[in-house]
Amino acid sequence: MQKLIRTTQRLSQVALVLFFVTFLVTLLVRLLPGDIATSLLPFGTAEEQAQLRTELGLDTNIFVYYFDWLRNFLQGDLGVYYNAGESYADASMTVWAMLSLTIPRTLLIMVYTLGFSLLFSIPIGMLLAYKADTRIDKVISNTLFGLSSIPNFAVGLGLAYIIGVKFELLNPIGYVTWGEGSVEHIKSVIMPVLSLSLGLIATFARLLRADIISTLKEDFVTMASSKGLSNRWILWRHVFRPSSLSLLTAAALNMGSLIGGAVIIEAIFALNGVGMFLVTSIALRQYLAIQSTVALIAISYIVFNLIVDAFMPKIDPRIRSHHGA
Amino acid sequence: MALNPKILANKPIGYRLSVLWLGVCAVFSIFGELFPLPAWDYSNPDVLGVGMFSPGHIFGTDYIGVDQLSAIIHGTRYSLGIAFVTVFFGMVIGGFLGILAAYRRGWVDAVISMYFNTTLSIPTLIMVVTMVAIFASPDPFNPSTTIPRVFVVIIAITFVLIPVLGRLARSSALSWTGREFVLVAKSMGMKPRSILWQHIVPNVLPAMLSVGFLAAGVVIIVEGGLALLGAGAEPGASWGSLLARNRGDISLIPHTTFIPVFFISITVMVLNYFGDYFRNQIDGRESRI
Repeated sequence: MQKLIRTTQRLSQVALVLFFVTFLVTLLVRLLPGDIATSLLPFGTAEEQAQLRTELGLDTNIFVYYFDWLRNFLQGDLGVYYNAGESYADASMTVWAMLSLTIPRTLLIMVYTLGFSLLFSIPIGMLLAYKADTRIDKVISNTLFGLSSIPNFAVGLGLAYIIGVKFELLNPIGYVTWGEGSVEHIKSVIMPVLSLSLGLIATFARLLRADIISTLKEDFVTMASSKGLSNRWILWRHVFRPSSLSLLTAAALNMGSLIGGAVIIEAIFALNGVGMFLVTSIALRQYLAIQSTVALIAISYIVFNLIVDAFMPKIDPRIRSHHGA
Repeated sequence: MALNPKILANKPIGYRLSVLWLGVCAVFSIFGELFPLPAWDYSNPDVLGVGMFSPGHIFGTDYIGVDQLSAIIHGTRYSLGIAFVTVFFGMVIGGFLGILAAYRRGWVDAVISMYFNTTLSIPTLIMVVTMVAIFASPDPFNPSTTIPRVFVVIIAITFVLIPVLGRLARSSALSWTGREFVLVAKSMGMKPRSILWQHIVPNVLPAMLSVGFLAAGVVIIVEGGLALLGAGAEPGASWGSLLARNRGDISLIPHTTFIPVFFISITVMVLNYFGDYFRNQIDGRESRI
C-alpha cells in the first residue's frame, strides 16, 4: 500500500515535470523573434503571412495554442513539418516522418557509445581499484583524468583530421544505414562513437574505481575473503554489483543527455540525428517540430531515470532496506 | 596569494602547473593589448596561411592573414570572461534559490525544485541554442535587436547554469540544515536569517566553489559547441568561435583549428583539476568535523 502511494506520488511528479517542460518549450518557441510565417514566406505579402499564422493557430493565445498541441501530441500526432509554398492542409512532411529518419541514427549511436564505453571502462575501473595506489593506477588514473576533460568535439575534430583527412582511412562525413551495407554502416559510425566514448570511458572508469575502493573496505568483503573465496570471485560477485550504482546512474544520465546532447558530434560528422534536426528546426522556426521533439527527449530522459531508480534495489540489496534512498 | 612560493611549495606538481596555466591565461586576458602583436582581427595580406613557428607568427596565420597568437590571446579574455561571468551569476542566483528551497522547504521548495527539474530535462545545448536565438534575433528579415553576441551567449548560458548550480546548492544546504549545530542554534532562539548566514552559507560555499571550477570548464566547452553550431560569440572573438571559423580549413592548415582546441582542452583540464582538488580538500575537512 505504502509502495503504491509512493509510486503514484512519483508518477504524478513526473507528469507535472513533463507538463512544465512542454509548456516552457512552447513559451520559448513563441518567444523566438520572427516566426514561421516570416521564415517560410519571407517575400510574401502581409495577408499571406497572416493567413499562414491563422492556419497554424498562432493568432490564438498561448494557452489555447499549447493545449491544441498537447491534445494532438497525446493522440500521436506530432504535427507537420512545413515547407515553403505549402498550406497547412497539404503539407507533405510530418514531424514524425522526419523523426523516424533521425531517431534510429541517434539511438544506434547512443547504444554503441554506451556499450563501447562500458565495455572498456568496467575492466579498467576494476583493474585500477584492484591495483589502487600503485604506480600503474597512478599513471592510468591521471591519464583518464586528462581524457575526461577533453571536450568530445576536440576528439571528433582530431579523429576527423587524422583518420579522415590525413590517412584517408574513413570518410569523415555522412551516415550509412545498416540496410545500405553493414560494413559501411560500421565504418560510418566508428569516428562519432569514438569521439563520444573517450570521455565517457574515462569518467565511468574513475567512478567505478572510487566506488569499488570504498566497497572493498566493507565488512562483507573481509568476510568473503576470510571464507577463502578467490579474489576474482569476490571482485565480480560481491564487489562489482554494489559498486556499479554510480556507474549505472551516470550511464543513464548520459544516455538521456546523449539523445539531444550529441549535437556537436552530429554536426561535425554530418550525421543528421535528432540533435541536428532540432537545431535546424530552431533556425527555421518549425514550431511543432521543436515542441514535439523536445517533449520526446524530455520523456525519454525522465523514463531512463525512472528505470534506473526501479532497478537500483535489484542490483544493490542494501537499498531495499531503507526506503526512498 | 597563489604566487607566494611558500604556499606552492608543498602542493603537488599538477597544482603548480595548473596555477601557472591559469596565471598565463589571466595575463593574456588582462594585458592582452600590451603584447607587441598585430590586432586580433587585422588581416595581413602578406602572410596568408603560414604555418606554426614562422618568423613573427609563432602560431602562424589563417587564410585571411590573422595572426593566431593574437587571436588566441584575445580569445582568452572572451572565453574565460564568459566562463567567469556566467558561473558567478549562476552561483549567486542558483545558490540563493537552492539555499532558500532547502531552508524554507514546503511550497517554496516544491516550486523551486520543479523549476530546476523542468529546465534540467531539456538538453543543455538545445536550451542554450534556443536562448541565443531568442535574445540574438538571427532572423535576417527582422534584425530588431543589436545586443553584442557575447552578452547573448552569457545570458543564455547563465539561464542554463542556474538550475544546475541551484540543485547542488539545495542538496548541499539540505545536508547541513539537519546537523546538530543548526538544531542547537535553532533551540537557542537564533534568528533564521542569522542561522542561514552564519551556519548554512559558510558551509555550502566551499562545495559551491569547487563545483564552480567544474562549471567553468563546462561553460568553456558549451561556448565552443555553440560556436561550432554557428550560435557563438562574434566570429573569431573567443576560442570557440576562432575554432569554428577555422574549422573549414582543417585539411590545409590544421594548426589554426588545433591551437584553439588545445587551449580549450588544457584550460578545461586545469579547471577540472582545481574542482577535484578542492572537493577532496572539503571532503577531508568534513570527515574531520
